[in-house]
Amino acid sequence: MAIPKSAERSEVGAHQGSGEIRLVDVTKKFGGSYAVQNINLTIPHGSYCCLLGPSGCGKTTILRMIAGHETPSSGEIFIGDQMMIGKRPVERGTAMMFQSYALFPHLTVLDNVAFYLKMRGVGKEERRQKAEEMLQRVQLDHLKDRMPGQLSGGQQQRVALARSLITNPKVLLLEEPLSALDEFLRLKMRGELKSLQNELGITFVHVTHTQPEAIALADMVVVMDTGRIDQADTANVIFDRPKTPYVARFMGGQNVLTGTVESLSGGLARLRNADGATFEAATGALEAKAGSPMSIAVRRDRIKLRKRLADQVLSAVNEISGIVDSTEYQGSYIKVTVDLGGGVFVVNVSDSEYFVDAVVRGDLVTASWTTADVHTLSKVDMGAIDDPYLDATQ
Amino acid sequence: MSASPSYGSRPWTFYVLATLFTLFVIFLYGPMIAVLILSFQGPSASLVFPLRDPSFMWFDELFNPRRTGDVVGAFNRSLPLAILVMFLTVLISVTAGFAFRRRFKGATAIFYTAIASLIVPGLVLSIGTLVTFRYLGMSANWYTSALGAHLSWALPFGLLIMFAVLGRLNPSYEEAAFDLGATKWQIVKEVVVPIVFPGMIAVALFGFTLSYDEFPRSWLTVGTKNTLPLEIWTMTTNVTSPALYALGAVTTFVSFIVIAVALASIILIQRKRFRGK
Repeated sequence: MAIPKSAERSEVGAHQGSGEIRLVDVTKKFGGSYAVQNINLTIPHGSYCCLLGPSGCGKTTILRMIAGHETPSSGEIFIGDQMMIGKRPVERGTAMMFQSYALFPHLTVLDNVAFYLKMRGVGKEERRQKAEEMLQRVQLDHLKDRMPGQLSGGQQQRVALARSLITNPKVLLLEEPLSALDEFLRLKMRGELKSLQNELGITFVHVTHTQPEAIALADMVVVMDTGRIDQADTANVIFDRPKTPYVARFMGGQNVLTGTVESLSGGLARLRNADGATFEAATGALEAKAGSPMSIAVRRDRIKLRKRLADQVLSAVNEISGIVDSTEYQGSYIKVTVDLGGGVFVVNVSDSEYFVDAVVRGDLVTASWTTADVHTLSKVDMGAIDDPYLDATQ
Repeated sequence: MSASPSYGSRPWTFYVLATLFTLFVIFLYGPMIAVLILSFQGPSASLVFPLRDPSFMWFDELFNPRRTGDVVGAFNRSLPLAILVMFLTVLISVTAGFAFRRRFKGATAIFYTAIASLIVPGLVLSIGTLVTFRYLGMSANWYTSALGAHLSWALPFGLLIMFAVLGRLNPSYEEAAFDLGATKWQIVKEVVVPIVFPGMIAVALFGFTLSYDEFPRSWLTVGTKNTLPLEIWTMTTNVTSPALYALGAVTTFVSFIVIAVALASIILIQRKRFRGK
């Protein structure tokens, strides 16, 4: 949210030092099962970090362990250079914004924001004045005497933010902060969160299961799968060069293809898939062996699609053929889903290209791409694991 | 099926159910209203309708007894007993409710043990209490044995209400307070108790009325001096005047006041929460 330049940061409980978060071999068990296992992660000071993954992947558990609402079964958590295990949230310099906002229903907006100061024994006049200043910063001072139940979702979220920020944290922890808002507000608040983080310069850790949200906000995206980190990098790298088939599928925007390595030469591997189509890929750092399987990813928007005549034979490298299953208009591009017989292949065709010779359901088509647009995955794809959620992409 | 469109005329079941409901309301409030009317009976002292020469003489008889029993004395025992039961029920239910928020070993067994006393017939419990007190060499009294017997009745209700109320309380509130630096005691005092306060009033209401109206569990446990329900029962056998109705009217009135106060405070709290100051 836009914060007037003149507004000074509250001095109450100012935390010195770095908001760098370091998790070392962190494991959390609930009963007999692991919520997260051997997590090693460093979130740089002052960065916007998104923990991304489907429900149950352990992202919220990590957030709650950083906040001090959950204690790891083993491992260490540092903020700055201090070990935080066993410390209370306020001692950690963290503040958490809950998914439900958890505004106290019996207190006015002003008293909700002043709660932290009240717990510290700050006098009524002083704490109300400070809380009012904080409410001005989120532009809600005109609602200070309302009860939380009278506010809209967006307003409640601003109050929750103000209530967290009054603790002057080094680290702000956000638990699915945008999930309770409608689409319009979600985009608006997304922008406001990002500019707030820029303004404050503190570390934000944001848990979400929505890929576009993570890409739009984060300096660092941490993609999680059932209790482990699959990849942690900038949004651009995660989207463009996913490390594993899981990340490629989860982030969307990629087609994952698997074949057997036929030959290797000059850093290029030639693959052949079960249908006989051949692909070329730069092996890079990956150790490829002839005869072993390998998976590659091709971005959906780097693929050429053309209609194919029934008697045409597929011969070229980096080509695949199938029948159009559906087309979905997305405004600037058209999402064309091609049925390969043994799987689906998605091509995002720009609208200008698409309408030159539009394909429709049932058309026989050929998709082709260049070797430069192929990206090698470090693991062999084990299939889409019958999980519709993973294949659901923007 | 007819092809003509229906504009929502009421089905026959509406009339059947409306009749049933009317009968239910008459059964619920009819006796109370009859007693209330007859309590204003004139000097004819007739115990049945019609009401002749309405007067307050039987209320006067109640508070300045000549022929009736010790109504004022009974009231002076029933009221403190009900208030005592109310406070203990709230205190124990709320603290037990907190304990049960964390699942601990044997929680289910303890819960059913507490609830099971509801199914023990009151008169049997009354006899059992008296026998036990005799065996232990203690004399039955309204503030000892009767208090215990009443708690065995009011507490399970209080526990059930409090479990429901605290079960619905989102743990995020407590975590948010902890996140903002509140100590354990501050979390209870500043967050949990204010939020569940309407539930606590409901528990208090149950505690009070269940004790104030209790007959079977009071029967042998109050000792030599009667509580109000026992006094009324004694009067039905001894006193054959409309003073009986006057007493019924007064006790019902007290119960109504308690319920009205409780409900009004719950509504006030809710209104404040959703409409602001």
